[in-house]
Amino acid sequence: MTTLLVRPGRRSAAAATRPPAYSGGQYLAVVGFMAAAAVLVPLLISSDANQYRANLWLVYAMAALGFYWVFGLGGRFAFCQTLMMTVGGYTSAYVTSKLGPEWFLFGLFSAMVVCAVLAGIVGALTARAQDFYFAIATLAVSEIGTVVFEKGGGPLGPDGTVTSISIPQIGHTVILSNRGTFWLFLIILGLLLFLGAFLERSPVRRLAIAARENGQVAATLGVPVVRLQLGLFMLGSAAGGLSGALIGHWNGVTEANSFGMELSIGIFLMLLLGGLRSMWGPIVGAAFYVGIPQVLNGLDKYEQIVYGGLLLLVIILVPQGLVDAASRGARAGWRATRRRPQPSPGGNDA
Amino acid sequence: MDRFIALLLSGVAYGAILALVALGFIVLYRATGVVNFAHGDLVTLGTYIAIWSIDSLKLPTVVGYAFAIVAMFGVGVVIERVAYAPLRARPPLVVVIATLAAAVVIEGVLAVWQGSSPKLLSSPVGNRVWSIDGADIAVQRVLIIGVAAVVIIGLMLVFARTSIGRQLRAIATDPETAQLYGVRTRLMSVLAFGTSAALATLAGILVAPLSAADLTFGFDLMVSAFAAAVLGGFGSFGGVALGALAVGLIQQLLGGYVFTGYSETLPFVVMFIVIAVRPSGLVSTTASRL
Repeated sequence: MTTLLVRPGRRSAAAATRPPAYSGGQYLAVVGFMAAAAVLVPLLISSDANQYRANLWLVYAMAALGFYWVFGLGGRFAFCQTLMMTVGGYTSAYVTSKLGPEWFLFGLFSAMVVCAVLAGIVGALTARAQDFYFAIATLAVSEIGTVVFEKGGGPLGPDGTVTSISIPQIGHTVILSNRGTFWLFLIILGLLLFLGAFLERSPVRRLAIAARENGQVAATLGVPVVRLQLGLFMLGSAAGGLSGALIGHWNGVTEANSFGMELSIGIFLMLLLGGLRSMWGPIVGAAFYVGIPQVLNGLDKYEQIVYGGLLLLVIILVPQGLVDAASRGARAGWRATRRRPQPSPGGNDA
Repeated sequence: MDRFIALLLSGVAYGAILALVALGFIVLYRATGVVNFAHGDLVTLGTYIAIWSIDSLKLPTVVGYAFAIVAMFGVGVVIERVAYAPLRARPPLVVVIATLAAAVVIEGVLAVWQGSSPKLLSSPVGNRVWSIDGADIAVQRVLIIGVAAVVIIGLMLVFARTSIGRQLRAIATDPETAQLYGVRTRLMSVLAFGTSAALATLAGILVAPLSAADLTFGFDLMVSAFAAAVLGGFGSFGGVALGALAVGLIQQLLGGYVFTGYSETLPFVVMFIVIAVRPSGLVSTTASRL
């Protein structure tokens, strides 16, 4: 009988053979991203309009990151991410209106909890539905929610419009400016990304991919497919609720149609453009989604046509998304560099 | 009684429209495996082409309708060539996204060409009304029911009895084997895209005279048609037609008598309940694409 012994002194060798998922690179990448955003955005952006777009990028990236957990990892296409944003906006507005603006962070937490619970109910009721039917069921929930909210009543106001939502406030610090809001959003997105990195390094990612690729086989191997997908749906919806709550406090208003079907499809596009297989995909995709209309602004009324054509082009040329294309390019460049022939000792250096 | 008759006929007419829209994307789904999210925008585009051909080209109403249907068949073919053919070998999800991008382009074209203000489409039967047992029924609704019934039966016959229908069914069941047996899959996908767009246009021009058409007009119809397709099992023509009828009747009758003010949510409530209770739809189907 052979016994495998791991000597304490071989710790560094074991660390060297660790799979890349456990190397800690994801956490470093999050820190690097935050540092780059913290330095570059204030450096490059001077106008308030562009600062607004940068903030929109960060807050949309949160919703898209949530959608990545639901669809990219969980494999369940949910059309109700924008409904969760609306519910999050209403919840946080209600909590802060009752308890006071200093309860802003608790309002955000409540928004996440309410959205997670709502997603849990929807997900549990539709647990047996196949992928396409799940998508249609969540579309139905989204449509029902929008109509019910539009009718208003109670804390929702006469037509589902809640106004005068308190400005973000942490302790005694009131965040009034767009620049201040940027720091708040960047920190919150950073926390979500740390959570994302934790998931990427955890067995959850492997199990979720197994469940996504072939649920039946995964279930026979003991993967809790339904529980896993439900959990990711709840987590992603909570991120959507957080995003909606932040937008509500930032703009001071949440409407039943604040985040309509257009944004629902937009979040899907963010994920697809950035890439479905990495948590960085939604971050890049959200930047593309928010930034490209600005770049195309000079085209006036032809903007949407060119935008659609550009989307089509990206889908045809880089179907795995921009992050995947960039990492493939980087890998190819790295390989090419390593394979470059070394000059022979007797070569002609002259 | 007169109210019941009016609501009943409205429900059947609305169901007929939903059936046409739903059959449009199911023809495509069965032939190519693609759920076309641009289908609603094809409904809108077809309707706007009809309005333009009648108002600007001064074509007679029925000729304008025919022109729009033929033109939209061509648009369907163009979409197949531009947004589907280059992605044929890619996963279905990529193609679905391409249809979303096509929808963005169509909406942009419509906004530039026609603006965002609602448009009215004339009808060959005008605003005529029939009185049935005290209920005033728009003749347009009767026309919708008649045309939809003819088209649905015709489509079922084409799929069941003709060579093209057999080829399309073969592709729906097993595309690779069908190709090995000599089925021209590329031609069939072109035909399916064209037919789907033509059906979308037919639905749009039938319902547009009852209310003004705007840029979101087709999208709203498409979403309700999804409910019909889910009820019908997303595959069988008969099942989808029945599902559409059920959605129309539930919306008009339950919405008219019980849940007044919430009638537009009823198809979605039914759809959600069906998915929760019977996830594969009320009418089971054997098509392999499901």
